[in-house]
Amino acid sequence: MLDAFLFAYVLGLLALGLRKPFVWVLAYLYIDIVAPQKIGWTLMPILPVSLIAFVAAFAGWLLVDSKQGSRFTFRQGLMVVLLAYCAMTASWAEFPKEAWEKWDWVWKALVFAIFLPLTLRTKLRLEAVVLAMVLSIAAIIISGGIKTATGGGGYGKLYLFVNDNTGLYESSTIACVAIAVIPLVLWLVRHGTVFPPDRRVRLFAGALIFAALLIPVGTEARTGLLCIGVLGVLLLRSVKYRFLFIAAAGFLALASIPFLPQSFTERMGTIQGHEEDESASTRVAVWQWTLDYVQDRPLGGGFDAYRANSFTYDKPVTQDLGGGVTRTEVEEVTDKERAYHSSYFEMLGEQGWPGLGLWLLLHGLGVLQMERLRRRYLKRAKDEMRSEDAWKAPLATALQQAQIVYLVGSLFVGIAFQPFILMLIGVQCGLWSYLNRVDSPAARQRPGAGGKPSVDKGVEGAPALR
Amino acid sequence: MIDYFAIGLTHGLLALAAWRLLLRDDLDSDAGEGGTKPHKPWLKAHKRNADAGDA
Repeated sequence: MLDAFLFAYVLGLLALGLRKPFVWVLAYLYIDIVAPQKIGWTLMPILPVSLIAFVAAFAGWLLVDSKQGSRFTFRQGLMVVLLAYCAMTASWAEFPKEAWEKWDWVWKALVFAIFLPLTLRTKLRLEAVVLAMVLSIAAIIISGGIKTATGGGGYGKLYLFVNDNTGLYESSTIACVAIAVIPLVLWLVRHGTVFPPDRRVRLFAGALIFAALLIPVGTEARTGLLCIGVLGVLLLRSVKYRFLFIAAAGFLALASIPFLPQSFTERMGTIQGHEEDESASTRVAVWQWTLDYVQDRPLGGGFDAYRANSFTYDKPVTQDLGGGVTRTEVEEVTDKERAYHSSYFEMLGEQGWPGLGLWLLLHGLGVLQMERLRRRYLKRAKDEMRSEDAWKAPLATALQQAQIVYLVGSLFVGIAFQPFILMLIGVQCGLWSYLNRVDSPAARQRPGAGGKPSVDKGVEGAPALR
Repeated sequence: MIDYFAIGLTHGLLALAAWRLLLRDDLDSDAGEGGTKPHKPWLKAHKRNADAGDA
């Protein structure tokens, strides 16, 4: 039944694209985030829906869509270089089979992120993409949130639609990304036009944010708690009433403690001391190993290079001897093929210093560009408040906040090429390009601009390098 | 049951959003951005030929 519904749904979305091909872009976003082909098990695997949506989105843009306003930004160029570099490291990878397996999905995610900004030529398209991303991930968040609220969570126990522990369905990943999405939800509530702000929209958004906050509780992923803290600090910058926000957040945090499951509070307590925690102590050992590894291979060992690691360490083990007597012994433990558990070390180990540099530049520039847009429109609002500018600074801020939450969360999760985040980068490139085209100080000074979006006639029909 | 609810609600909203987008002209060109119809040089050529034929 569910299988047939999802099958019909995907076909329906693809059919809507016949009227407006941009819907195919949204269909690809939905398929890549929710992965309906993994949820359905009989009908869905018949068609390679992800490939079909990707080809349709690209062909629709290439053959039918106007290219007017499409720009190729510097950060898209960075992603092209990163893509080529990843192909190079995969060719000399220490574990070629595993490396090419990872390459199989990394290249698609990067190519789509490079392509996406070319389609984002209008304000409504930017909103539509943000909305499609939020509603798609909302399916996972709402399901996980309700299960957590009804007592179905636990470390490695929260069952989402698919139980294959990959992509967004991996517990630490969804804990980080669910929190990163919250600023986008807040932006849609205030500035959405597809679903204009009203009571129903606010109710749905409030429930969605609550469900997103429950995901770190349900998955018991410590990264999620860290992300909530980072988001709280970031929101201080953008909320209107700071003291009220601090008071409300503090009250909610204190009020929620009695309702948190004991296993959650115990696990969060291990954030402070990592000696007795195998997950945390091996993490530090893997990071040290990675630093040694790149001394020999500064250009990186290719995807999945962590499989080369193996280390022996002492771990204190406490045994209950009965009658309240316990004995603690130090045991020698050998670990092999421990994953990086950090996007930064994932990039360093797999793509070496050049790859890490490219990745950091890609993200660092994103934070800076969003900051520039934010400041530009806040300053402009002080000089002259224009209603058509109202959405711009808040969207730049939301995209920046989502990215910073991810950048902090990914200190402890290996999600350097997470497709959802690459889509976010695509939206950032689209917004940067769009606002610079229609509304930069230079564009406003052009004759006839008059504050209205201007069209660069010189590049009609062909994307220009910017 | 929870999964059905989450899928039903979000998929319904996404379908409604896609439907609303189909009805919006500003999806393909911003309001006020005059003359932003898709660039179709072959149609112009066709029209020119037709005009020439009429004359």
